[in-house]
Amino acid sequence: MKQRNSTLRAWFLTLFVTMGIIGAGFIPAAEIFGITLQPVDILSEIKEPSEGAVEFEADIERLEMELAALSEVGDSIAIDTLPELPPVRFEWLAKESANYERRVPTIDELKPDTTHRVIAIEDFDTLATTRFDRLIEKLASGDDVRIAFMGDSFVEGDILTSDLRSELQQSFGGRGVDFVPCDIPFATARRSVKRSASGWSSYSVMKPKSAPESLRDLFFISGYISEGKAGAKVRWQSTDIFPTIDSCSRARILLVSRDTSRVVVTLNDTLSHEVEIAGDERLREIYIEAPYKSLSMRVAEGSVVCYGASLEGDGGVVVDNFSVRSNNGHAIFGTGAQINRQAHDMLSYDLVVLQYGLNIMMPGQRNFSKYRDQLRDMIAYTERCFPNAAILVLGVSDRWIKDEETGRFKPIGSVDALTRHQRAAADSCRVAFWNTSEAMAEYGGMPAFVRNGWAAGDYTHLNYAGGRRIAEALARTIRKSVYDCLVEREEERQREEQRRMEEELIRQMRIDLNIANQREAVTPIINSIKDSLPADVE
Amino acid sequence: MLSKLRDINFGELADKMLNLIGLEDGWWERVVGLLTYNPSSPMTLDSGFFLFAFLLFGIGYMVVKPVARLRTLYVVLFSLYFYYKLSGIYLLLLLFVAISDFLIGRRVAHSRENGGGKGWVALSVTINVAILAYFKATNFFVDTINNLYGNGTLDWESVVVPAGVSFFVFQSIAYVVDIYRGTIKPLKRLSDYIFLLSFFPKMFLGPLVKAKEFIPQIEAPRLPISRDDLGRAVTLIAGGLIKYGILAKALGTLFVAPAFAGELGDGGMVALMAIYGFTLQIYCDFSGYSDMAVGVALLMGFRLPDNFDAPYHSATITEFWRRWHISLSTWLKDYLYISLGGNRRGSVRTYLNLILTMFLGGLWHGVGLTFIAWGLLHGIALALHKLWLKIIPNAKAVGRDMKWWWRIPAVAFTFHIVAFGWLLFTSKDMAEVEGVLTAIAYRFSFAEFVPMVERSAVAFAIMAVGYAMHLLPRKVDNAVMRGITRSGFIGQWLVMVVAIWAVMQCDMLLMANGGGGALPMYAAF
Repeated sequence: MKQRNSTLRAWFLTLFVTMGIIGAGFIPAAEIFGITLQPVDILSEIKEPSEGAVEFEADIERLEMELAALSEVGDSIAIDTLPELPPVRFEWLAKESANYERRVPTIDELKPDTTHRVIAIEDFDTLATTRFDRLIEKLASGDDVRIAFMGDSFVEGDILTSDLRSELQQSFGGRGVDFVPCDIPFATARRSVKRSASGWSSYSVMKPKSAPESLRDLFFISGYISEGKAGAKVRWQSTDIFPTIDSCSRARILLVSRDTSRVVVTLNDTLSHEVEIAGDERLREIYIEAPYKSLSMRVAEGSVVCYGASLEGDGGVVVDNFSVRSNNGHAIFGTGAQINRQAHDMLSYDLVVLQYGLNIMMPGQRNFSKYRDQLRDMIAYTERCFPNAAILVLGVSDRWIKDEETGRFKPIGSVDALTRHQRAAADSCRVAFWNTSEAMAEYGGMPAFVRNGWAAGDYTHLNYAGGRRIAEALARTIRKSVYDCLVEREEERQREEQRRMEEELIRQMRIDLNIANQREAVTPIINSIKDSLPADVE
Repeated sequence: MLSKLRDINFGELADKMLNLIGLEDGWWERVVGLLTYNPSSPMTLDSGFFLFAFLLFGIGYMVVKPVARLRTLYVVLFSLYFYYKLSGIYLLLLLFVAISDFLIGRRVAHSRENGGGKGWVALSVTINVAILAYFKATNFFVDTINNLYGNGTLDWESVVVPAGVSFFVFQSIAYVVDIYRGTIKPLKRLSDYIFLLSFFPKMFLGPLVKAKEFIPQIEAPRLPISRDDLGRAVTLIAGGLIKYGILAKALGTLFVAPAFAGELGDGGMVALMAIYGFTLQIYCDFSGYSDMAVGVALLMGFRLPDNFDAPYHSATITEFWRRWHISLSTWLKDYLYISLGGNRRGSVRTYLNLILTMFLGGLWHGVGLTFIAWGLLHGIALALHKLWLKIIPNAKAVGRDMKWWWRIPAVAFTFHIVAFGWLLFTSKDMAEVEGVLTAIAYRFSFAEFVPMVERSAVAFAIMAVGYAMHLLPRKVDNAVMRGITRSGFIGQWLVMVVAIWAVMQCDMLLMANGGGGALPMYAAF
């Protein structure tokens, strides 16, 4: 039997399949059998920002207006309708006594080991006591310190930050894994925490247009928001991969509930507490004090936008990891200034770290003046959202690329240039800077990282072991600063002591001298009296 | 009315329409970026980019298809572009091999008439083997020297094996040898020979084609595609996508990789299950990709040989090699085993030739002890089976001829030999092999089973489905294919869209678990 030739049919099939797949991209996210299905997008390669191509504009003026509006609203409500003001913080104190985790470091334990060179933090602040000095002094005194670590895929999955946290907590106290987002689509899991979430619609600040218009001004520097209606739930559980994180004693869940809603918070899957949140535009915090290993939250009624939770200890050091893949830092311009400021008012950050730049380097590129100017805007933005926090810009890390001709890896050739421009931005904004690639060079640079199994074969991304080296180097620097601070205090104390002793001595001497002087002054009088006395009196 | 029309800014309108489907400004630059070679995302048959490229390619292909010469040139140009997207600069290597063996082939044909030509064949083999040896053995050589005499003795960065190099080199050797043996006549046009080597569906991972079977298709005036062909193509592509993109990748990411990395504990049960898992994974990965290649070629009217035939149904090791990577084992038999003398030099030489062939086959996968051990295992097993057939009366070479009560244990036995081979194959060194075997021998416990399955429930569900599908008789496969053929345009469209959608969905889910987006396993060879 002779069959018809189906060449045209085959092509039309290809055409319709292509169109069908594009069409399938419009199927919204859904949940079946506990698996969250995501919209697929065959055009993603064309649509995807090829490394940060999403345009974010820095608009400092608008930012200041928004922030000004924020404080006005707060003030007017506070004055006029104080009794009806919905609470900002919902406390659940399920613990008898606080067991403070903070600890005051001693000079001896911070004594720098001499096996590694300390890469100093370059502080360009011109205040008499710089913002960074204040941070160091708080650490030296054992005060609570909160750090926001903003970065790209380099720190995704808590790479670097988990070790930095562990290092700092061991020296200066604190427990916990700190900020963990509610529900991030497709992000690498963090090994320091187990997270399971269902029923949320999540959006990334990198793709703001995918989020409903009404939610776009709600982005926080965490980069992700998750909207959940009744039934949405999320559970966080700390793991015991680091000594200081296996159990926590404080939790802060950050959310916005525009309409009145009810959520149920559960500790260790047993102890539950219900919170009713009156509808409001502003950021809300559910604050819990209790010893726990797992924390879960369920939306029982209404709808909330959840950012995540911070699982922490009673004081000490907190390091919040805010990583957003392929963000070059610009994404902060897409976050809501008011949300950032409200979060800062609640959490009061002492330091904001900006780790960016890995994705913008082109082989051999030397001129990053455009990025330097953008970085200045990012710093300015950060300063306004997080007033009084110290800001630390991290230089870009070492990166090698494959030589097309030889197939060997060679330096990308633009690390030093980008580092220079990043330092220049930090300098002109008077914030602190730390040279990451120099720290890597201390360990032998990227080839040594790859050889030792600390970095991926792409000569770009570090793994946990590689992140640990950077974290150690940074922690070493911070410890050294605290050590210097303590040494200075000790010297100051000794000088004070010395001065007091000297003063005491002088006072004593003065008294002696006075006595002597008086004696000296009196002697001639006595003598003259003696002389004037009749001889027979003797 | 006209003035109204003039007011419309068509550029803006077009932009708006593109925005509607989600394309934002700058998309054109990204398209251009996509068109150039990018080492981190080579174009494979399962990439979204390929779908679009194939669609555009199809328009021209329908025009030139009836004219063989034009068709060949058109497909060659696209194939070369495909290889550029896959391998970048190594396109020049492909062209070098093609030109060199095209010219040598003509010399061989010429000398053959005068009883010569052996020298030319030797030259071709030397060039091709030298290329293979350079890409395959240099890293091993440098590493060995550096391990012996300290790092930095030889300052040499890793050599990257170009995609598909073994496949075109093997076919090129076969072409020259075939001419020498008189099986085929040399091709008249270089473009035809480049076509033979570079035909894009099979470029990356085969199947290897035999010149004798493929050349008539290049020259054929018409390449009709019947409705049955279309149904078969859709079945192969959709089935291949599911095997490769879902079963293999999910199993690898969710269970096999973490199990071998020791993340699921060091128990013997996990180790054993990891071997079974890998055995299924490598089959789904490789055969899935091969099926896609055969299917895509069929959509264009070309018939490529089947590369796999339910290999784990084999009741003997000889049968296994007739069902696994058929095009390679045929190649090894025709050009290595027979060149070594085959079975014409007495039984001892036959056994030695078998072992030597498999040893070289193992070495080809990579210069290292594990691959050598894998090759030797199969070579010795094949030789022993040949001996068995000789001394045991009534012994059967294939399962089809056996009684069921003998066939079932025979299939299980063969499966375990092969699975043990895969352990050698996938381990990075002999110490890892020893570690896995020690775990199975000394730390095995059935109590481990339930918690393990609970922890990796999805992976075990996939493994169960995968093995069950594999065990189904061929009749079921054929029935599915008939069903898809009969379901007509809409049915086939639905099958394809659902398969692609599911694979993309799976890829995204796996990415969240640290997998996804990887190349086929055999890309390393």
